[in-house]
Parts: sequence; structure tokens; C-alpha cells
Amino acid sequence: MHIPDGYLSPQTSAVFTVSMLPLWWQSARQVRKVVKSRYVPLLALGAAFSFVIMMFNVPIPDGTTAHAVGGALIAILLGPWAAGIAVSIALLIQALFFGDGGVLAFPVNAFNMAVLLPFVAYGVYRLLAGNAALTSPRRVWSAAVGAYAGLNAAALATAIEFGVQPDLFHKADGTPLYSPFHLSQSIPAMMLPHLLIAGLVEAAVTAGVLTYLQRANVPVLRINAPNVALTPAEVARRPVSPVRVGMVTLGILALISPLGLLAPGGAFGEDAPEDLDLARYHLSAVPTGLQKYTDFWGNALLPGYGDGSPWQYVVSAIIGMAAIAVVAGALVWLLRRVRGGEAGAADIDGGSGVDTPPVKEGSGSPA
Amino acid sequence: MTTSTAQSQPAPAWLLQREVALCPCGCIGKRRKGSYVAKTLSGASGVLRQAMSSDDIAAQPGLLQRLDPRIKLVSLLGLLVTVALLRSLPLLAGAYVVTLVLAAASKLSVTFFIKRVWLFIPIFTGIVVLPATLSIITPGHVVLPLWTWHGQPQGFTEQGLHSAGLIITRVATSISLVVLLTLTTPWVRLLAALRSIGVPRMFVLIIGMAYRYLFLLLDTVDDMYTARKARTLGGGGDSAAGRRFVAASAGTLFGKAHQLSEEVHQAMLARGYTGDARSLQVFRLRRIDVVWTICAAAGAVALLLADRGLGG
Repeated sequence: MHIPDGYLSPQTSAVFTVSMLPLWWQSARQVRKVVKSRYVPLLALGAAFSFVIMMFNVPIPDGTTAHAVGGALIAILLGPWAAGIAVSIALLIQALFFGDGGVLAFPVNAFNMAVLLPFVAYGVYRLLAGNAALTSPRRVWSAAVGAYAGLNAAALATAIEFGVQPDLFHKADGTPLYSPFHLSQSIPAMMLPHLLIAGLVEAAVTAGVLTYLQRANVPVLRINAPNVALTPAEVARRPVSPVRVGMVTLGILALISPLGLLAPGGAFGEDAPEDLDLARYHLSAVPTGLQKYTDFWGNALLPGYGDGSPWQYVVSAIIGMAAIAVVAGALVWLLRRVRGGEAGAADIDGGSGVDTPPVKEGSGSPA
Repeated sequence: MTTSTAQSQPAPAWLLQREVALCPCGCIGKRRKGSYVAKTLSGASGVLRQAMSSDDIAAQPGLLQRLDPRIKLVSLLGLLVTVALLRSLPLLAGAYVVTLVLAAASKLSVTFFIKRVWLFIPIFTGIVVLPATLSIITPGHVVLPLWTWHGQPQGFTEQGLHSAGLIITRVATSISLVVLLTLTTPWVRLLAALRSIGVPRMFVLIIGMAYRYLFLLLDTVDDMYTARKARTLGGGGDSAAGRRFVAASAGTLFGKAHQLSEEVHQAMLARGYTGDARSLQVFRLRRIDVVWTICAAAGAVALLLADRGLGG
């Protein structure tokens, strides 16, 4: 998956360079915030590990060997931001010092293997692992699925980067200037081996290493998951967070709210004056007060939740929820600012997310 | 490399022989059968070999070795972009010949240089580009018909062959330029030069530390795999057991690396590290640097102008 120089147009590299700069900057900020001054040695060793893990030959059943990228493993162990920097640096060392992968193509390679791979893998892993205990098998298979998805996402991105070249950059007579394969050729050519072999190798290595660490070196698993329960028994003992319950309930309510569209009739007391069934309420005319104030505010953004079609109704609902979330978020931010002093101090004292003791190699017993 | 300079070479000759272009990640398409243990061991020693031979060559007196690393890095990036923009095959071939001249002027063995660049071009680029010379991928004027499809002759097309030639020459020239930079610059100076193209000091510090500990981790891998090899009789067992061993050794390696990062951090704190890095080395520009910059810029502009006139 290491793209050498010469396959991509310099314009492609330029686009990726510009988009990678803020990503690297943000990664450095995120990592620094969590691990403080420790981040230089942590990322340096992470990068060296990333380089070395690409050299591990993994035996596969047909008798040959393949190798893993390791981006998913590092994302799970150190977090996706740290993985982004560690894998980027490993790729830079390969390109600059060992001539593996292009120098101009470095930002593209970094995007595929250091951003897309770890973030997709980590996202899938967190989604599937949920609240499972650190030593549970669910963590292992979630990591395997995540690694498989991440590697194939990176391979697909590589195929697309190759595949758009002949359409974008060619001579007048149709001679392609860079990679000559179109999307319809580059995508199957890249995806077939990655879906069938490389993805499985990445998944097997990631799962194998996690299984080993669950057995032999649990403190290392804690680096990126300091507050996760260690055993299933501990998960069951932990009280459920009220914030979490609230958020889940709100989410479910938001999802089922369109059910109201199915209900016949209207809600009592919400009719517009002209729709009122006056005879039912023994009235001869619309009350003057109601008549007077009903059009008091006529500047609604989406009057009547759109023109009545279900789609507009749903869109109005989403806009409404987003507006409420923004207002609530602003209120929380304001309250934090007002109460700032003590909260800020507490953050600096106890907020360094990673507080694992130095890991003693081979100690074996979980902390 | 000649034997006359053997005294200035700290790396033993036997270590520098064997395969020249070794992709440390093994992703250049060679999937020969063999023991994963032996392959990992030879991969690890290959990286070491390549790093040591680079340091040896960088210590020799040559044209590119004398240049300021900042100038070298910036001009290399400029030349890489120029090569990437060229659309004419003769000009690309000319640029490749220039890299050979530069290699010779920098006291590099030209055969070694050619071998190092071309060893993996036929394997990787050649195989990748080959199908694109056929009319099924690159339609156009068929020069060598191989079969017919609905009455239309199909085979190698002029456009396909031209495109393959463009890519292979461009890849070769680009790799040659990077190899020239890598082989003629000691890595510490290359690292310092990264600062000059705007890489933040923190990143340079991390890259430098990563490169340094890379060899320590490789050494650990070498120990683990040599021990494994020493206690394995016969072929190497089934692949599932092999994968378990690979996973366990990678896990052990991660544990060691993390413990090491903690210890390095404590050592840094003990020496007064506050989270800020400073560099000591000061570069001074000399006349040769200015001359080189002018030559490189003029060459790049001339190539691009000629390309405008020729290609299209």
C-alpha cells in the first residue's frame, strides 16, 4: 500500500499535503493534552514500534507470508490521534531513510495508513466493543473487525487515488501521465487481495496481540482505556451513569418521534383559529383575544414545520433538535466559564488521562 | 564501494553484500515461500545493513556530501516536483541520466546505484504497469496486435506503451533522487534539515528518537527470533502456531517499547527536560551551496520549459 513517487500527479500530492497539515497539528495537540511532556518518548517509541511491526512476517495458510500495517493495533493501544502521528513518522522514516514509499507521495500514504486506517479501525472497535470488560473476548473480536475494516478502507482510498489519475491527467491523445488504471480496474485490483488476504492478516495480528496482552500485560491495555472495567464481574458491579441513561433515552425519543406522523387527527388545543370546530365548543365566533394574538409572531423560520410533507417535517425536527443542543451546549459552556476557577484547577491536577505505572515486562499478573 | 576505502568503513563487508534494494516492509511484491522466522530475521538485518551502508557512503568525500543538507533537501523536493510534472519521455530519460552523473560525482558506485534503483522497479512497477500497455486498459492505436475482439485488433497500444515508459522512467528518476539524498546525507544532518522545510522542532525530536530506538527494537526482534530459530527443529510447524508466536512477540515488543518510553521520559525529566527542544547544530551556507542551488533551479526551469515545447 506504500505508493511510490511517480504514480500520482504532484497536484494530488499537493491536495493531500494541505489537508494533512491541520490533521497532524490537531493530532499533536490532542496527544499533548493527554500525556503532557511524556508524549515525545511515547510517540517516538510508538513510531519505532510501528516501523518494526510492518517487518513482522506473518505465516498464512498457503505457506507464504504477509505483513500487517499495525495501524489498527496502535490506534487501540495508544488512541487514534497518537497512532496518526506514530504511523506517519514510521512512514516518513521509511520514505526518507530507506526509500520505501515516495517522498512526494508521503502525505497521501500518511492519509491512507496513518489517518484513515487507525480512525476507521478505532471507530469500529469502539462501536462493537461498547462497554465490554478490558479482558473480555468481545474486545478481541471487535478489534479484529475494526482492523479488517480499517485496512480495507485504506486500500479503497489508495485504489481511488490511483483510479482518478488517468481521467484527470492525460495527454491530448489519451496517453495517461501517471497511474494508467481507471477506477473500474484499480478498485478490484486493490480490493480483492486486501479483502481476501491483507485484511485478514491485519485482523489476525491485531486480535492475536490483544489476546496476548490480555493474558500477559494488562497494564499496557490501560494506556488508552484508563476507566474501563477489567473483568465482566466489574462491569456488572459498576453503577450505570445517569448521564448515559439520559442520553440514550433522549436518543430513543428522537428516533421514534416521527411516529407522530402516523397518528390521525390533530392535538387538542393546537388548532389554528380558522380550523376550530366552533359548534363543538358552543361558540358563535372565534374569541377576540385568540383572534388578536394568534398572528402575534409571524416570523417563524419553518412555519407549520414546512409545507406538510413528511420529509420537511423530519428536517424541521432535526433543525429543532440541533438548535436546542446548541443552546444547551452554550449554557453548559457559560456555566463552566462562570465557575471556571476551581474546575480548571482540578483538570490540571487530575486530568492527565494516562496515569499507568511503568509497566514491568513479564510480571504477568494484572494490576 | 571499493576496497581502498575499507579503512574508513566501520561496517564489515560481509554485512553489506547480498540483496541491495530491500523494502523493509516487504511490500514490493516478493512472496516467496520460506520460514517466517528466517524472513523476519533477514528483514531486520537488511534494515540495519542499509542504514550502516548509507552512513558509510555519506562519510565519503563527494559532490553531494559537501552540500548543506538543508539546500540538498529543498532542492531535492523541487527536482522531485519537476520530474513529476514532466510529460516528455526523452526529457525524463535525460533527467535520469543526470542522476547517474550526480551519483558518480558523489563517489557512489554507479552499478550499485543502478542496481539499488532498478532491482525493485521491474518487480513492482513493471508488473503493475504491464497490463496497462494493452488495449483493454489503455485504448488507442494498436501497434502490435495479439488477438481480435469483435473484429477489432487488440494488443499493445502506442498510448499504453508510451504511458508505461513515462511511469517507469518517472519512478526510476524519483527513486534515484531520493536514494541520492539518503545515501549522501548522514541521518542526523538530514533530520536537522527537516527543520528548514518547516517541520516543527517537536516532530523532528520525535523522528530522531524514533530512528534511534528503531534499532534497539530491531535488536530485540532479532534476539526473540534467533532464540525461536535456535529451539525449532525441522520446518517451522503449522501456520496457526506461527501466527500465535508472531502476535506474542509483537505484544512483548509493545510492552518493552512502552516501558522504555516511560524510562526515557524519566531520564529526560531528570536531565531537566521541560517539554521544549533546542538544537545545537548551526548550518552555514558556502559558495558550493549557492552554485548548486542556481544549477538545480536552472535545470528544473530548463526541463519544464523544454517540456512545454516538446510534450503536450
